[in-house]
Amino acid sequence: MEALFINLAEAFTGWMIRLGLNPAWAESILLLVKWIIVITIITVNIIILIWLERKISAFFQERLGPNRLGPFGIFQTVADAIKLLTKEDIVPSAADKLIFKTAPMFFIVVAVMLYTVIPMGKDMEVINLNIGLLFFISVGSLSTIALLMAGWGSNNKWSLMGAVRSVAQMVSYEIPLAFSLLGVVMITGSLNLQDIVAAQDKWWFIVLQPIAFITYFIAATAELNRGPFDMPEAEQELTGGAYTEYTGMRWALFFLAEYTNLVAVSALMATVFLGGWQGPWLPSWLWIIIKTYAVILVFFWVKWTFPRIRMDHLMSFSWKVLVPVSLGNILLTGAGIYFCRWMGWC
Amino acid sequence: MKGQGLIKGLGITLKHFFQKEITEQYPDVMPELAPRFRGCLRFQFEKCIACGICVNNCPNDVLSFETEKSDKSKKKKLLSYSIDFQYCMFCNLCVEGCPTNCLYFDHDFELSSFEREDIKMIYLRPEGLDEAEDSQAEPEEQEDKEQKQIEAMLKALQKNPQKVLSRLLEGEEDINILSELIQSDQKTAGKIAELMIKDKEKALKVARGFINKEKKNRAQQEMDGGKGGDNDV
Amino acid sequence: MLETDIYTVNVGPIHPSTHGGLHVEAIMDGEIIQDVVVHLGYVHRSVEKIAEGKTYQQFVPYTARLDYLATNLPVLGYCQAVEKLLGIEVPERAEYIRVIMAELSRIASHQIAISATGIDLGATTGLMYGMRDRERIMNIFEMTGGQRLLSSYIRIGGVAADIPDEFIPAVKSLVQDIPRMMEEYNGLMTGNEIWAARMEGVGILAPETAIQYGVTGPNLRASGIAYDLRKAEPYGIYDRFDFDLPLGKRGDSLDRWQVRIDEIGQSGRIIEQALKAMPEGEIKAKVPKVLKPAAGKEVYHRIESAKGELGYYIVSDGSSKPYRLHVRAPSFINLMVLPVICRGGVFQDIITNIATLDPILGESDR
Repeated sequence: MEALFINLAEAFTGWMIRLGLNPAWAESILLLVKWIIVITIITVNIIILIWLERKISAFFQERLGPNRLGPFGIFQTVADAIKLLTKEDIVPSAADKLIFKTAPMFFIVVAVMLYTVIPMGKDMEVINLNIGLLFFISVGSLSTIALLMAGWGSNNKWSLMGAVRSVAQMVSYEIPLAFSLLGVVMITGSLNLQDIVAAQDKWWFIVLQPIAFITYFIAATAELNRGPFDMPEAEQELTGGAYTEYTGMRWALFFLAEYTNLVAVSALMATVFLGGWQGPWLPSWLWIIIKTYAVILVFFWVKWTFPRIRMDHLMSFSWKVLVPVSLGNILLTGAGIYFCRWMGWC
Repeated sequence: MKGQGLIKGLGITLKHFFQKEITEQYPDVMPELAPRFRGCLRFQFEKCIACGICVNNCPNDVLSFETEKSDKSKKKKLLSYSIDFQYCMFCNLCVEGCPTNCLYFDHDFELSSFEREDIKMIYLRPEGLDEAEDSQAEPEEQEDKEQKQIEAMLKALQKNPQKVLSRLLEGEEDINILSELIQSDQKTAGKIAELMIKDKEKALKVARGFINKEKKNRAQQEMDGGKGGDNDV
Repeated sequence: MLETDIYTVNVGPIHPSTHGGLHVEAIMDGEIIQDVVVHLGYVHRSVEKIAEGKTYQQFVPYTARLDYLATNLPVLGYCQAVEKLLGIEVPERAEYIRVIMAELSRIASHQIAISATGIDLGATTGLMYGMRDRERIMNIFEMTGGQRLLSSYIRIGGVAADIPDEFIPAVKSLVQDIPRMMEEYNGLMTGNEIWAARMEGVGILAPETAIQYGVTGPNLRASGIAYDLRKAEPYGIYDRFDFDLPLGKRGDSLDRWQVRIDEIGQSGRIIEQALKAMPEGEIKAKVPKVLKPAAGKEVYHRIESAKGELGYYIVSDGSSKPYRLHVRAPSFINLMVLPVICRGGVFQDIITNIATLDPILGESDR
């Protein structure tokens, strides 16, 4: 069971080589297949995730949630997707059409790119990048540009306000986000995510780096634009923020990308702080899925409990609380590492 | 400490997560409605006496009906009764006013329809109702009845003229003048009582005539300096 | 130097957080509000003019459509005004039933205010809990008046029908649960640090400003002024009940919010006392079929509605229809203070301030 997917991949390449293909070509085709599989999994996963969020938020509010289509209403999202696909595609006449149209595509591409480095099991990732963590952070921050494109291209005050807010928010939260991960990097001495997972065979980093975990969780919520930091969207204030003018599938792409980001960030959190794919009895790829979903459930729980924070409080919270705390955490980690070396523990 | 409120909030939502859902399963399970619930307004044709109280009570002109003077019984005959639901605001004033309880609200609350015309409900006179009613009332009795009504009206007029006349006239001054007249003169009272039963419009005309005459008299008297004190008509 | 410009943002008339057809034109300098202009009239139905064409009884259902979230309160005000005009004495039992229904309506209205504030500030779950508790009051209205939202139960001279048997147990269990409900709203929202940060010091309404603008109701009491018509000028039988007036200290959004939650508890106390003291007897005075007040007679009657001081001014010309009817709508007057409390705040404060002022557009536009 453990090496199920790896064996499948090897069998696939072996089959292609036996057909008479150049090994380099076979390797490229395998990469393509991996990509397609990743995208399929993302899409199917999102459909389940949207259903899950609706269902769980309903339970928090003593409602039933979707329950009409299929068992427990699981096909509700499929029906919604079909509805969105068949809706009229409206592009506002005053919009900057090129930017308006490319923004959602850009957003989803950036979101999918995050999956390339996440280890989905032992020796299971699309690319084993030695700067995986850096790649994740830098690509993750690109989604800011997509939101700014959407806000500017829509040529609408609400959209622009939402976009400006989201840029301000994401730039501010980028810093504590990166700083909180630095503590982990200092301990492991590597940016490779597989190394980070391997370093957690005794202690998960949530035990060694609890402050970093909390700051990362808060910063990631802001980075994901999820409640209570859903400032760019802010239905009640900005009537949808950067997405105000989008309809149909373009809007759905934003929605899809947000959930894609959510899964990616949760998976990273599971990888960096919760021991990644490590765990007893079950195969490694099942462990990462379980951990990711546990993190996602906490995200849901937080979103459906808290009110939205105010813009100026949000900024001051980042610069006055999160950045100093995460910097302090780096100091503490450094001191701890030297203390360990001095004592000869590591 | 900061953050306590956040954790308390999380605790509350978590507690509700495991509680039973309270959603009503509406189309599958019909809701339990209170006995007084006002759903759809219904009408029972047989009970209606075409008195028009419901139409007068209705604030929104929802109700209307057509009548015809029956040839045999000289009684008002209801031909059709219509309820225009799109204007109804379910205030219950028509039901409360109805003397025979022929209007009532049932518990059917699914009133939507595809066409605007379908919202309007028209009740037509059921067949076979004519014979049933005709056999009940006979013409001679009808005339007797009218005589009796005139006598009753005359008595009422003499006993409490203000109240009876308020049905006919508007304006306190006019009513007072006419009621004084009636109490002093039998003949006037008899005439007004008869007309009030037989033809209300004519009664109104005659009453106005009496009042104007009286007013002129009074004005004359005032001009004369209050010489003549008696009412002579 | 960067050149900046002042721009306007139109919040409404179609906007998720304006509680109906309210149009607020915000003149912004970046995220800071320079000024706010309130545009009204999107829900104008000419209720006052309609009154001139309807008889006194026919107009009763229309009054419920003014403040539709606190159904029985505007109806009570109108009926008491007409009773004052005609000198009708309402039977004792009817008075007690009216007090219970009025206070239930007040609770229902405040629960809507609480849940709407919840969703306006992003706490969607708060909306659901408020609505869930309000549902029980709606069930009580259904069993007494026959309708859930616009029950038109109170009539001129009393109430439409006697209370059913299941009414008293239902109200009693509701009153018992009120402390639990309040604890839940406070735990989920008031105690929450994010919530407090969004509300504290936002939209401060100074007591002097409140009086100058004629603000009434919970908004005035949140500014620290103990003025409630139930105490200041008791109408009906309100002088017989013992209850407190929750007051605020700062006059900000958090105080307005807290006053509403606390008022739910006080309304519960009034209902408890009314249930205990309710006598048996008639539920409606003898009222003539056609009401004809003397010509030229006029009356002004005011009650403490959930939103503030609700007044009816009726002039009679001796016919069965009022010559002129005017409604002093508290929401309309309370909304006028919105620009004052919004100035200098950030954009999101507009939403908070509208939510905590708790206007109802059906009443303010009439």
